Amino acid sequence: MDFILNPYYLQIGMFIMINAILGVSIYLTLATGQLSLGNAGFMSIGAYTSALLTLKAGFPVYLAIPIGGFAAAAVSAVIGFPALRLKGLYLAIATLGFGEVVRVVFLNLKITNGALGLSGIPSLGILLGKALSSAGFDQGMGGLSVQQLSNVSVLLILLILVVFLVFFSLRLSRCRVGRAFAAIKTDETAAEAMGINTTYYKLLAFLLGAFIAGVAGALAAHITFYIGPKDFDYHRTVEILLFAVLGGSNLVWGPILGATLLTMLPEVLRAASDYRMMIYGAILVTMMAFRPQGLISEETLRFWKAKLGRRKEHDLNS
Amino acid sequence: MLKINSLVTSYGSIKALKGIDLEVPAGSIVSLIGANGAGKTTAMKSLVGIIKPQSGTIVFQGQAIQGWPSHKVVGLGVSLVPEGRRILARMSVLENLEMGAYQRQDMEIQADMEKVFSRFPILAERRNQLGGTLSGGQQQMLAIGRALMARPKLLLLDEPSMGLAPLVVAEIFRVIQDINREGTTVLLVEQNVRQALKIAHYAYVLETGKIVLHGTAEEVAHNPRVMEAYLGGAKGMK
Repeated sequence: MDFILNPYYLQIGMFIMINAILGVSIYLTLATGQLSLGNAGFMSIGAYTSALLTLKAGFPVYLAIPIGGFAAAAVSAVIGFPALRLKGLYLAIATLGFGEVVRVVFLNLKITNGALGLSGIPSLGILLGKALSSAGFDQGMGGLSVQQLSNVSVLLILLILVVFLVFFSLRLSRCRVGRAFAAIKTDETAAEAMGINTTYYKLLAFLLGAFIAGVAGALAAHITFYIGPKDFDYHRTVEILLFAVLGGSNLVWGPILGATLLTMLPEVLRAASDYRMMIYGAILVTMMAFRPQGLISEETLRFWKAKLGRRKEHDLNS
Repeated sequence: MLKINSLVTSYGSIKALKGIDLEVPAGSIVSLIGANGAGKTTAMKSLVGIIKPQSGTIVFQGQAIQGWPSHKVVGLGVSLVPEGRRILARMSVLENLEMGAYQRQDMEIQADMEKVFSRFPILAERRNQLGGTLSGGQQQMLAIGRALMARPKLLLLDEPSMGLAPLVVAEIFRVIQDINREGTTVLLVEQNVRQALKIAHYAYVLETGKIVLHGTAEEVAHNPRVMEAYLGGAKGMK
């Protein structure tokens, strides 16, 4: 048990969850066919808002995290109106620029401590540990130390959040809003001709994506105790995009699988040390060449459903 | 029902429509004919608000709708069957039709869907097939069916005959006439001038962004210029 629950594995587990949340955020904007590269920017807005609120204004963490999300959504509403007039690559470039602007702003503000970043952010793990101790678990429980217990609880909270977001996305794709998203993604002109308010739905998807990215950023801040402008640069944007590219962006499972794989890959490849980014790159190039739609597409799902269905039938018959 | 006055639409500095006037009386079929690049599709797109017109007025049932966003225009009862059909390839026939009724909340959607299926039996047969797997003619039927699902008062058809075999074209035009007889006003944009004039009550000829000729379909069909340019010589119609 101690072997599995060591802090290193638990930390990776938490990063996987955070990245899965980011994966959902880019999935939602991609669901309307918009390529937004501003998610790292929204993430940093969420992270800085939440960190500053807890550090400087004494807000409780559980309140600061959603406020971080709302702050990101508010900013996305402001830039969304003009930006969503752009299509395809132009939108990608505009949002990429936005992310850089946000980074430079945080780099130069006094309150964000410039390039040094903010440290000593109240950590979710420690807070939960304290709560557990005062609840009478200071000796741990079931052979686990308080530290392990609190880390496992953080991981569980994140997992619940991811499960909720997946459930939300799945429900969304089957309801009115989701159908509108899908129609806009397939053919915006046709969607317009069908009487779908494309501006509204595109902005909604943009806002939802920004909100979720903001929450993910806030969570990341309260898990790593430190954030700096460098955490949210261009590389982070590309990383988030890769979750969707590798996993596939047509189903919510795609970015989640992509986030899981891409978070684990650098750790698994740690032995390859200097070469790991090269291997990472090679894997992505191979993917683009042989499976441009991503690992999980609708066909994949249909294939496995049919296969598993047939096996069940087979079992029943035999 | 629909009245367009000196409508101007530009793409950047290029004027695609240089002030057109057009009238669609309720209950009629009006054909807008012209060659490639005359501005037919631009006129359609400006009408439903997919492109914002630069100046001029569009009055639908007494209401000025120029510059309105398209979802509001659809809400008023104007449906466009876009050029090139534009069905949703990754959705099934059924889902495509459901999307057509997107703005409706009433209980008769199912009944209307059955109507579409009885009008186009082939769609009923293939209701669970993905839209992208249909043939061109079936896709055109689906696009028309989808537009009908919004219960339009005015149906706009942008080149419904594009790329279809003559037999299928005849079928599509027969359906358009049926739809019109059941009370829907139709504005038809066509390059297939012979067919378009055959079913229309009124016709407008568009050339490089201007209406050069209009009148009843009969008059337009017998205009020597039209016969020369679009119907293949003076013996064109008879």
